[in-house]
Amino acid sequence: VGPGRAGPGAVGLGRAGADTVSAPAQGGGSAVIDMENMDDTSGSSFEDMGEMHQRMKEEEEEEAEGEAGAGEEEDGEFLGMKGLRGQLGRQVADQMWQVGKRQASRAFSLYANIDILRPYFDVEPVQVRARLLESMIPVKMINFPQKIAGELYGPLMLVFTLVAILLHGMKTSDTIIREGTLMGTAIGTCFGYWLGVSSFMYFLAYLCNAQITMVQMLSLLGYGLFGHCITLLVTYNIHFHSLFYIFWLVVGGLSTLRMVAVLVSRTVGHTQRLILCGTLAALHMLFLLYLHFAYHKVVEGILDTLEGPNMPPFQRVARDIPVVSNAVLNTTAKTIALTL
Amino acid sequence: RHYGGYEYPQAGFVPPDMMQQQQPYTGQIYQPTQGYTPASAQSFYGSNFEDEPPLLEELGINFDHIWQKTLTVLHPLKVADGNIMNETDLAGPMVFCLAFGATLLLAGKIQFGYVYGISAIGCLAMFCLLNLMSVTGVSFGCVASVLGYCLLPMILLSSFAIVCSLQGVMGIILTAGIIGWCSFSASKIFISALAMEGQQLLVAYPCALLYGVFALISVF
Repeated sequence: VGPGRAGPGAVGLGRAGADTVSAPAQGGGSAVIDMENMDDTSGSSFEDMGEMHQRMKEEEEEEAEGEAGAGEEEDGEFLGMKGLRGQLGRQVADQMWQVGKRQASRAFSLYANIDILRPYFDVEPVQVRARLLESMIPVKMINFPQKIAGELYGPLMLVFTLVAILLHGMKTSDTIIREGTLMGTAIGTCFGYWLGVSSFMYFLAYLCNAQITMVQMLSLLGYGLFGHCITLLVTYNIHFHSLFYIFWLVVGGLSTLRMVAVLVSRTVGHTQRLILCGTLAALHMLFLLYLHFAYHKVVEGILDTLEGPNMPPFQRVARDIPVVSNAVLNTTAKTIALTL
Repeated sequence: RHYGGYEYPQAGFVPPDMMQQQQPYTGQIYQPTQGYTPASAQSFYGSNFEDEPPLLEELGINFDHIWQKTLTVLHPLKVADGNIMNETDLAGPMVFCLAFGATLLLAGKIQFGYVYGISAIGCLAMFCLLNLMSVTGVSFGCVASVLGYCLLPMILLSSFAIVCSLQGVMGIILTAGIIGWCSFSASKIFISALAMEGQQLLVAYPCALLYGVFALISVF
């Protein structure tokens, strides 16, 4: 196999050698037209064309078969014909390249056209602020379908804000992510929640015959993340468990109530309303709980160890062992504190 | 769209005059085309050495423009001229990214990779967002150029982090101020270049998020 394979390679090298050797002879007006060197004058443009090169070569070889008979009999005056054929070849290759490029860009613009999302980003700052505040206020009227703003700027910015808050929380608590990066985890979590839960809720809404479109669902859930952002911003910096639970219930609850009320107004039937709203409320509240505890617990551990020796130990001991006198407790506590 | 069909970077290896010569056939029939190979040979070799443009001009690095744009960024209250961003200049932003990485290095953080990665992703996201929000489109080079120039105050922040830790209250205030400065400048230039009236806050907020991530690298 080895020597056999060297055969074609050697022939190829031989050909290349022949090309370079006869190249200087072209300028001198040789009488013989070497068909193999045909593509030498337009070499650089052919190399650039990529795949077109091979196809063009085959096509020109076919043309050359037809004209070889006539060409070889003529004199050096036909040296110009080689230049003509080179120019023709270049232009044809150029055209084929442009056609291919046009087809590729047409396919790309068809599938990756972000212009279809353009109307959803046409907002004013006043509108965004109004919608942010409204997302915390539950509506009272549920007999009439409530209007949902179908815009994507606000929700997208809220998701990115949540990513930034998560990153900040992970950095302050020195969270170490072993498989992946901090940024990747944060983006994956937030976008995964927004897109995944929206799709799931849209699917459920389709099953339960609710009148809501995908963009409206994305918008509703995105604005519901405003409560999450506020809660996490506060509780990642002020570390009290009870404060977090209060925020979870109040802020998380308000935004959940708002989303639930809007969904209820758009759904008919008791069971369907229950399914939709129960699922949404559960997912929304559980996500906030998950975000707080999954990305934050290292800080809790550090704080416990830091605050331990500072708390007066005799107070704790006094509660547990009321019988022993205070003097004994004080001296015991002081010796323990000294040894620590 | 702003730059017509001139899609090749100014630092490309092909001189502009050669591009135009490819299209029309300027030779005569039965004569080899003179213009193609000899022109390229002459540009690069021997005889036309004195006629070559200076290296910086060929590379498209114009120090005066870079200085003008830097001043526009540094002076937040100065009104931005919409025309200054017409030419895509990536030399200045590249220098600023390197300087940012260098100041981080002086503080003991070897995070060039993060700087480049976040810049690339952030520029891509801003490019998509601005194309969706503006009536006229914007090119990726313009977005990258503006965001790169407005990184300059962040370099001040990271050089401050070399000497003092930014994790106290003063650090938080300084960081917030610098983020605001960067995003205000960036949004000001985008607004004037894209003629988006009344939407400065909407453009400033994503810029603030992006520069916030850079600040996070500097602080922690």
